[in-house]
Amino acid sequence: MGRPKQGEMQKSNIKYQNSGIAVSRDDFLNFAFYILILALPILFSGCDRKDSFPNRPITFICPWGAGGGTDRISRQLAFLLEQELGVPVNVVNATGGGGVTGHSRGARARPDGYTITMVTVELNMLHWRGLTSISHEDFKSVMMVNQDAAAVFVRTDSQWKTLGELEQAIRERPGKLKASGTAFGGIWHVALAGWLTTIGLQASDVTWIAMSGAAPSLQELMADGLDIVSCSLPEAQVLLKADKIRCLGVMADRRLPGYPEISTFKELGVDWQVSTHRGIALPVGVLESRSLVIENAVARAAGSEEYLQYMGSTGAGAAAMPSEEYARFLEKTDKAFGDVFAGPSFKGFQHKYGPMLFPAVLSGLLGVCLLACFVCGSLRSAPDRQKISRTAMLDMFILIGCVVLYILSAETLGFVLSSAVILLVLFSRMRVKSKIAIPATVLLASLVYQLFAIGLRVPLPRGFLGW
Amino acid sequence: MSPILTALQNVFGDPQVVVIVFLSAFFGVFVGSIPGLTATMAVALLVPITYWLDPISALAAVVSMVACAIFAGDIPTTLLRIPGTPASAAYANDAHNLTRQGKSDLVLSTALVCSVVGGILGAIVLMLLGHQLAKVATAFSAVEYFWLYLLGLSCAVVVSSGPKLNGLLALTIGLLISTVGLSAVHSKARFTFGVAELYGGINFIPAMIGLFGISEVLNSMLDRRRETRDEARETKEGASHVHRPSSVARPSLLGLGTGMLLRRKGHVLRSASIGSLIGMLPGAGADIAAWVSFAVSKRFSKKPQLYGQESIEGIADATTANNAALAGAWIPALILGIPGDSVTAIVIGVLLMKNITPGPDIFTKQADLVYSIYMIFILANIILIPVGFVAIKAASRLVRIPKAILLPAILLFCIVGSYSLNASYIDVTVMLTMGVLGFVLERRKVPLAPIVLALILGPMVEERFIQIITGSDGSFSGFVNPARPLALALATVFALVWVSAIIIGIRGKSSSHKATKTLI
Repeated sequence: MGRPKQGEMQKSNIKYQNSGIAVSRDDFLNFAFYILILALPILFSGCDRKDSFPNRPITFICPWGAGGGTDRISRQLAFLLEQELGVPVNVVNATGGGGVTGHSRGARARPDGYTITMVTVELNMLHWRGLTSISHEDFKSVMMVNQDAAAVFVRTDSQWKTLGELEQAIRERPGKLKASGTAFGGIWHVALAGWLTTIGLQASDVTWIAMSGAAPSLQELMADGLDIVSCSLPEAQVLLKADKIRCLGVMADRRLPGYPEISTFKELGVDWQVSTHRGIALPVGVLESRSLVIENAVARAAGSEEYLQYMGSTGAGAAAMPSEEYARFLEKTDKAFGDVFAGPSFKGFQHKYGPMLFPAVLSGLLGVCLLACFVCGSLRSAPDRQKISRTAMLDMFILIGCVVLYILSAETLGFVLSSAVILLVLFSRMRVKSKIAIPATVLLASLVYQLFAIGLRVPLPRGFLGW
Repeated sequence: MSPILTALQNVFGDPQVVVIVFLSAFFGVFVGSIPGLTATMAVALLVPITYWLDPISALAAVVSMVACAIFAGDIPTTLLRIPGTPASAAYANDAHNLTRQGKSDLVLSTALVCSVVGGILGAIVLMLLGHQLAKVATAFSAVEYFWLYLLGLSCAVVVSSGPKLNGLLALTIGLLISTVGLSAVHSKARFTFGVAELYGGINFIPAMIGLFGISEVLNSMLDRRRETRDEARETKEGASHVHRPSSVARPSLLGLGTGMLLRRKGHVLRSASIGSLIGMLPGAGADIAAWVSFAVSKRFSKKPQLYGQESIEGIADATTANNAALAGAWIPALILGIPGDSVTAIVIGVLLMKNITPGPDIFTKQADLVYSIYMIFILANIILIPVGFVAIKAASRLVRIPKAILLPAILLFCIVGSYSLNASYIDVTVMLTMGVLGFVLERRKVPLAPIVLALILGPMVEERFIQIITGSDGSFSGFVNPARPLALALATVFALVWVSAIIIGIRGKSSSHKATKTLI
């Protein structure tokens, strides 16, 4: 029935009608036809659902940015898991807040087994610092896949050849040496502070310059802006091999397989060990049968030749600690970090140059700026801008309302339905004829979904229908 | 010369590499032209696949995708005023205003040709001087970065249209917005009002889509109302004019761009060198390069009043610089193993996976590999010409779609683009809020581009600021340390930029007073 109309449809341009959408019998039939088309995929989508797990793509949350160490391991594992599970495993970088965002989202995800999270050592740290309420108790641990010990680095041309010499220098000039590796209170800071307290010094005897990660810290070390960097060996591997920096010791209980020449702190007479760890976890409440499927798949992926080879080539420590042992490990490290953050190095520490310093400077600048603008009158609206008419105002409110509607409804309705709704509303507001508006809506919503969710593997909201 | 010859053979002589470059170029243009999808995300998608490729092919895929994605960012910038990459936010207004005058072909063709030339020049510069230039990168500590970032921010104010005071206001607003979230230095929450999702701060991609894209949609709605009213009046009068650019004697697409290039040979060389130099500093990259080049271009232009309004010269120089900067970012990554951005971070991972260790001796031990990377850059840029023109042709059809259909579709893409980045509704909310803010600010003649750069550089400036002041224990000497001549030089340039801006501002004011007087 729609066939002969199609040619006509392409030829006909959109005309703005002054009287809104005129509903004739023809239009109504067209409308019914397109609704039917819209409904077809809904009917079919329910048909091929199997009861087996998993039967749709799995979301793999990585709490750190694309390109970093955690991201790289996540993507490698996701790739291997895909082969094990037979469904796509999509890595989502839920970044920000020093890991708070990703871990919270992973813990609060629907416990249906379709969301797994790469949890990192920050899971044991963030809640002690009052940044989130999420802890290891909100996760069901699946398997630890990586563990890297902290190490201490100085420049090759510096005068300190051993850990003892560095210790001596710190004792002679407390507070003068500058160190970094991560933000204040991050894992590498804890590592360095722990070493200092173990040897009877105070954490503040070395000035910690907060940097956003190991890479910029190493760059700063090379540029003579820092004296000490504390980070893991894989992160410093390149500069170490190039003989630009020297490793004074690694905070592990035995020498690392990839770096047999580097002595441990224990050998050097310091009983202090810190390492980061990464592992896979599910939100609490996933069915036993499903978590077992994930566990087996992760075990096979993390034990595979490809994974071990990949980890070996990047110098990272591959670990395959099974579920229960991993849970005990998390419990233990959590307690240890609790002690560290309750200790004198961090508890009640006041930043001399605190978090509000920069915003305060900016607010001052903003005030001066605004004052100057008012004096000069440079903020008066441009004369060529016409006044906003009432109908135009309504247009804008409808548009804004549509986005708000999407934000509120997408999670339950799913992407396709909620975007179809806002498109229809806007098209009708724009007076687009329904025989163009409806196919355009169907086409746009489904094409965008195909393109993003299936073609590019970008996350889109899944509603009760799964799309 | 032999490693260069081997590299030539490795890249141009291997059909597999050429095919991969071609396919990745298409993928890159496609991803780059969708606002919200970043080159980083696309590269991350590629990584598991690169596992199965040999090193040269793996690098070919990554390099050509990135090189093409950054040009493609100009397409939505020009046609829809939604910057595809932060670098193109610098000239979003210019490009879109020219499109409104029916000159979108000129803009895109210029952007394409200049991107290609910039990319090739950047690769050649680094092939010849890369090893020496790497030493500069190691000299950059927190102080040098601090002044470089401030210089970049100043450039954004200098190039903005309208009163410079409004540009400064925009910059300050942007910097203040950038302090929302967990402070990078102290890990303390600021201005988050207890919303954990805001800990991550205001992401600049949804903010950018909102500031430019949504505010433009709002503007178009306003214009549409006016148009339909005018149209109604016209039809009443019985005279319907169809405005369509006449197709008489129009030069070809390629001709437009090359013509522009030939007229600006010297400027292109200058922009390419600025691009390579800035691109080489880890963490500075293509964004600052585009802005600085735009500002330098304005300084030496005969028509500086057009910058920020409709300057095709500025677009040519900025696109040249940001593509030249791309190749630069690989120098610190290859020689020092320090990634300049997330793309090169992924690349270091790929290299390690292939048992190639980046380091200072990579130019001697793996010389053919290094040269191969630059050959791939050159090849990718050459292939970008046909692929880019196909993309421009295809995208230009967008403009012909009636606004009533196009506007809701753009809105949908804005929503998807901001959501897909992080799968977060906060990002969609940020986009909407920024859209309304952008709409209001623009009506008050406040430029939007400085806000975008401030959002990107704000956290970095703060981090460096606190680092320096902690290191020097509150003394100002940390910022101007005679032991760091490079920092002093950058600080001097920064001061000069502002002094000259103020002088020009005062002079401009008095001359405009005179102008009004003579008019009266």
